[in-house]
Amino acid sequence: MTVDIKSIMSGSVWKINVSKGDLVTEGTDLVILESMKMEVPIEATEDGIVKEILVSEGEFVSEDDVVVVIDK
Amino acid sequence: MDIYEKVQKLNDKKEKYKQMGSEKYIEKQHNAGKLTVRERISLLLDEGSFMEMGLLAHQQNLHPTMEGKYTPADGVVTGRGTIDGRPVCIAAHDYTVLAGSTGKVAEKKMYRVREWSLKHRVPMIWLIDSAGVRIQESIGSLFADNGRHFFDEVKMSGVVPLVCAMMGPGVAGTAYLPALADFVPMVKGTSFMALGGPHLVRAVVGEDVDDQTLGGSKVHTEESGVADIEVENDEECINVIKQYLSFFPSNCEEKPPVNDLPETRNEISEKLMEIVPSNSKRIYNMYDVIKEIVDDGEYLAIKPKWAQNIITVFARVGGMPVGIVANQPRYMGGALDGDAADKAARFINICDAYSIPLVFLQDIPGFIVGSKVEKKGIIRHGAKMLHAVSEATVPKITVIVRKAYGAGYFVMCGKQYDPDLIVAWPTAEISVMGAEGASSILYHKQIANSENPKEAWNEYAEQFKELIDVDIAASNGLIDDVIDPRDTRRVIYDGLKNSWNKKVERPWKKTSIRPV
Repeated sequence: MTVDIKSIMSGSVWKINVSKGDLVTEGTDLVILESMKMEVPIEATEDGIVKEILVSEGEFVSEDDVVVVIDK
Repeated sequence: MDIYEKVQKLNDKKEKYKQMGSEKYIEKQHNAGKLTVRERISLLLDEGSFMEMGLLAHQQNLHPTMEGKYTPADGVVTGRGTIDGRPVCIAAHDYTVLAGSTGKVAEKKMYRVREWSLKHRVPMIWLIDSAGVRIQESIGSLFADNGRHFFDEVKMSGVVPLVCAMMGPGVAGTAYLPALADFVPMVKGTSFMALGGPHLVRAVVGEDVDDQTLGGSKVHTEESGVADIEVENDEECINVIKQYLSFFPSNCEEKPPVNDLPETRNEISEKLMEIVPSNSKRIYNMYDVIKEIVDDGEYLAIKPKWAQNIITVFARVGGMPVGIVANQPRYMGGALDGDAADKAARFINICDAYSIPLVFLQDIPGFIVGSKVEKKGIIRHGAKMLHAVSEATVPKITVIVRKAYGAGYFVMCGKQYDPDLIVAWPTAEISVMGAEGASSILYHKQIANSENPKEAWNEYAEQFKELIDVDIAASNGLIDDVIDPRDTRRVIYDGLKNSWNKKVERPWKKTSIRPV
């Protein structure tokens, strides 16, 4: 089963902390956005393996856009 | 029959009614992980304090569908008792009696206990575990007389604290009881609330959904924001009700209860020097700051999993109850959106209604901007918070921890929102917007025309950065003090102590037009 990790707000991708295949646990900061002049982490909501990363650094993402897909 | 026989018969009936529905249903209740209504009440109220009203009630319906239906106390236990020695009124559904459905007689009992609560100015507590209105008794146009619950609840709102615990289902109209109450804990796994239950949803809109997915505690404490806190089981639910009420007066004309001064009152917190990162783009957990400020590091978080970018907690400082509204940089950088403004506005209204002083901990980069949030009506929601903080006449203490930008500074009780004390840490940044944003807007032509736009932008931003200095606010007399962060707890305590008897008179009006 896969889980879509969505962006909690609009912003630009500042840093991607994980790679495809990484094992992550709930609460892991997957991607850091820069938004409202703050570094805003997007966390894994479940334990699993990173299946896909759908954004690249510098890219603008909108609220609710899927940024990472996790395989549970 | 002589009087002895009559009394014997009466006592037997009372004893039988106290046994609730059949043993089979009591066993079912326990197997579902729920306590019975009488177990719940005995945990909630001080021992021996319960004065039950209406034990002898029973359904009186003549309709064939109700023939032979045994409904001791008519499925709802009502009365008065005390919690920590202070009186409360209670109405609690008995799920072992026709699934806690509310019949005509039950309605009368609930009406009476609401009346009692209002007349005697004591908190009202509902323990919801009900299939809803008893359809057999409400089908047809006699329904024209139903629905008084909610009218009364609105009348009581702001006069006496209203607690509505979801300890089982609460469907259809019953779901509005919690929605209109002040505090709504929900038991994980066993409770749910929805305007239409799974059967109705399937029949009317064709959606196939189970009760927990439809309106379980996760839905309402994380997504809808209707409920305030998710609890593991019935015992925890009862405890959190007691904890909540410990911060509240019995009614709006009394002051909230003050505990003894804890020994730690003047304690200096070295930790407060370490929590906030010096890079102001970096996040941290504001709960770590709160723990250093409140008595014994203890607090009751309201809606902790919904709109996490704002924190709303009840706690005590120097024994005095406070409602803390704090930005949470850990989530969305602490920027406010519509849900956060809603959550804070409601919390502020509750504190103001019951004379609970407010403490604002500011670290806010502003309200979120962009097309998504505009379409969701962030202006309308933000206005709720402006309205609430402006209307609140309880003591208000503002501490600017770090960022205080734009309208975010206003809604978090900035200088013009009548704080009784407004202080800042030396790390505070107060401004209409950040230096980078200002430089992009004010010098966009110069930047675009320069040979090295990036460098030009930086240069202009540096100029603005010099203007964002808390010392400027203090030296212009705009804030009361810049404080040593280690001293925050003592400063808040002094502010509260000295404004405890605050009284504010506003121009008379019939009602304010709340931007709901």
